[in-house]
Amino acid sequence: MAQETAGAAQAKQPTFEEFCHQTFDFKKAFGKPEALKGCRVLSCTQYILGPSCASYLAELGAEVIKIEAPRRGEAMRHTTPFNEPFLYPLSRWVPERGTGLGFLGANPNEYFISCDFHRPEGQAIVKKLAAKSDVVVENYRPGTFERWGIGYRQLSKINPRLVYCWLGGFGGWGPGRVRASYDILGQSQGGNFGMTGKPEFMGGAPSKHTIWLADYWGGMMGAVQILAALYWRDKVSGEGTFTEYSQVHGVTRQLEYALPLYGRHGIVRERWGNWDTQLCVHGIIKCGKSSYPQSENPQEQEEGYILVSAYDDKDFVRLCQTVGDGKTAEKYAKHDARVKPQSQIEIYDLLEKWAADKTKEQVAELLDKANINNQPVWNSKEVANHPHWQERGAVQWLDDQTFGDLMHQGPAYMMSATPPRLKWALKPVGADNEYILGKLAGLSSEELRRLEEQECI
Amino acid sequence: MATPKVAPWPAIPISKPEEVYAGLSEQAKEYPLFLESIVRQEHNFEKPEALSRLRVLDCSTRMMIGHWCSSLLAELGAEVIQVEPLGGDPLRQNTPFGRRQYMFRDKETGEEVGGQFLHEMRNKLSITLNLETEEGREILKKLAVQSDVVIENAPPGQWDSWGIGYRQLSETNPRLIYCWVGQRGQWGPLKDKPGMLDPVAQAACGFVHGTGDPKEFGGQPTRSALWMADHVGGTSAAMGILAAVLHRENVSGQGQFIEATAAEAIIRILDYNWAWHSMDGSIRPRYGNWDLAINIYAVNPCKDGYMMVGGGHDRLWYRIWRTVGDEYPTVEEDILGDPHLREVADRLAHDMQVKTYTMLGEWLKDNPRSEAERKLSKQQVASGGVLYVNEVAEYPHFKYRGHVGEYDSPHYGKILYGTTPFLQQKTPGRLKWLGRPTGYDNGDVYRRLLGLNREDFTRLKQAKVI
Repeated sequence: MAQETAGAAQAKQPTFEEFCHQTFDFKKAFGKPEALKGCRVLSCTQYILGPSCASYLAELGAEVIKIEAPRRGEAMRHTTPFNEPFLYPLSRWVPERGTGLGFLGANPNEYFISCDFHRPEGQAIVKKLAAKSDVVVENYRPGTFERWGIGYRQLSKINPRLVYCWLGGFGGWGPGRVRASYDILGQSQGGNFGMTGKPEFMGGAPSKHTIWLADYWGGMMGAVQILAALYWRDKVSGEGTFTEYSQVHGVTRQLEYALPLYGRHGIVRERWGNWDTQLCVHGIIKCGKSSYPQSENPQEQEEGYILVSAYDDKDFVRLCQTVGDGKTAEKYAKHDARVKPQSQIEIYDLLEKWAADKTKEQVAELLDKANINNQPVWNSKEVANHPHWQERGAVQWLDDQTFGDLMHQGPAYMMSATPPRLKWALKPVGADNEYILGKLAGLSSEELRRLEEQECI
Repeated sequence: MATPKVAPWPAIPISKPEEVYAGLSEQAKEYPLFLESIVRQEHNFEKPEALSRLRVLDCSTRMMIGHWCSSLLAELGAEVIQVEPLGGDPLRQNTPFGRRQYMFRDKETGEEVGGQFLHEMRNKLSITLNLETEEGREILKKLAVQSDVVIENAPPGQWDSWGIGYRQLSETNPRLIYCWVGQRGQWGPLKDKPGMLDPVAQAACGFVHGTGDPKEFGGQPTRSALWMADHVGGTSAAMGILAAVLHRENVSGQGQFIEATAAEAIIRILDYNWAWHSMDGSIRPRYGNWDLAINIYAVNPCKDGYMMVGGGHDRLWYRIWRTVGDEYPTVEEDILGDPHLREVADRLAHDMQVKTYTMLGEWLKDNPRSEAERKLSKQQVASGGVLYVNEVAEYPHFKYRGHVGEYDSPHYGKILYGTTPFLQQKTPGRLKWLGRPTGYDNGDVYRRLLGLNREDFTRLKQAKVI
């Protein structure tokens, strides 16, 4: 009897994978509480760096109020690939235009109000909102908000619990403080741009990380800093603070061994293309054949690429067996021998010759059989339609309340008790003027109408 | 080995405030000087640390994502204990092209560590623990009871089967925040596909496919030189951990289970890829150092390297061409006279981008980076050269602000490193130390947290547990 009960209990215990699947199922997120519920964030931001920072907090349940210029909204709404796809309408005042896709991903779950920071009435609204907020995120040129009377020194007097986060390119002080910045400039000057791509002797040049990486990732760094400041406020001091994040500084922070190597030996880290400077084999090779030769899309006609990873000695032997080259296995039996630049050139050349008559899927199959780590280079269609990413909610179909069906990225990470979640992709400019300004600034419909007519909101 | 002759850093002295703000009115310098007074890193040690009450066990090995995550928490003041396998994390052995002369050597023991691992071993304690042994896992349980956060990256389900997974540790410490980090995830169809190291995630999420020049321009899919997806994934893990800490302190009193992957962190920030695909089947193409959605916004070759120039909207567009027109009036005339370049939106067509950058290239080819930047800056246009690490280290603005710092390590001597970008008025991030030899803190941590004594140490060492 006792044995039977134990057996039944054991049967009920889900496997680890079942447990994870149930725990992290993104479709169940709405049945759970939110980590930052009750936290209010004013996002006085434009482009990507500042907006994305606030949006990560919005995914966690903070009430993020995005303040934009009246009518046309912020610049990123007018940015879209090849000027083709748009989400309509831009706003109730400009229904014939749409929001460009450049705006997507940096502003989910937010409330959208419009307000002209230049006008005293607009500044008064910001002050009223800031008095009732926990966080202000701002990325105007340094000192601009201060000049408008809504900078850190002014707002922290109204609300000493405020965490004021400024994000930008070069920071608000120092010889380059007046320089404007964008993501691509942050990458260029911070140092990761010059290291990415093939080296010159292979015909390569410095390469941009395709996405607005220093912006989107910089926003995450800003959010980490804000969360730490909120923790200190709530747990210890009761006081807010000022934080400054420079995206070019962030990029320099992540240069791995480049600075230690330069400082000690005076050696400047160079580009090494799709291979790894520290591990071999651990690089991306070209497969000679396209996976979709019949496709009309040039993205699919292109030959495939695959990451092959066999840096451990045993894995390397198996890789050479798969490729059918015993001599190389012997010659480069030790990692120290394999990882030298000349050896890498020889080994990857060999691998590409072997893969010349194969698609990336065929290479992956052969490597899987030999138990060698690999990862085909997937394009955005392959990622969007892969069951792994769909099941995990990394990409998900969103029934957006304004724009209908959209495929959208899910949050970057999962939490069992208070999962971050996607509620809506974005809203038109000023969509929540009545709701937010009524609720937090006490504006009557008459005042709202007047401010609207004067294009102050 | 002979000491290489390397110029000391900084080769050119760091500017002084009176030089930087020379010629400005009192009013104009008041705001930057105020900012300096509240966020300059020199004042860090007069201030408290935001996360000084948190203890983090980072048990991740061989992968950067966990180390990056715990680095950020350590910079913000958490007590981070790096739990390494006996002999140290294999990442310690990584060095470019296998060149051991580039490694950093402990003055006392001669133990070597590679620069990449060293750079992320900031403010962390190092202990060794063999989790392959039953006793090692018992020790981990005891450490976890006294910790706020555990980070691990073992193959999916391994810790669970060992009896030290989230399900078990959360029973003995319900306040524990348990974070698994990895490349593609511990559940779902790809969970058993091995592959632990970036750029696995970069390739699996669409990032590599989208980076580099288009094929027609001689390009191919390109990885980031850095283990970038690990950096982004580690940052997102830190966000999740801190959100869980806040919720625990403010609301629930309970910890929770977090999973963060390098691939999904990049999927999150691949802006419009997914929506665009869902609208008309588009697959985002590579566009090299140009941008699909903004013109002018690109890096192009110039006289002595590569130059970024940016200005999408009209105001900056005309300023850029005015700058070019000072030297090449015909170029300015041609651009301003072209009806297909008049509207911001029209400029985004591919042919128009080609024309724009061909014309801009005419000017750039005669201008070195510094000259181009000087001329464009006069017009307040965002611009700057692609800098290499030696230039980053000596860049006056970065030096003045301390983006790069030199730490004099008791173990390894002077190390040049990238400082924390977490500048703050009240609880700034900071560097306390950089790098620890393997197991350096065994004595401290095991005595302090578990009360082990000399005999215990001897026995555990002999049994190859620590």
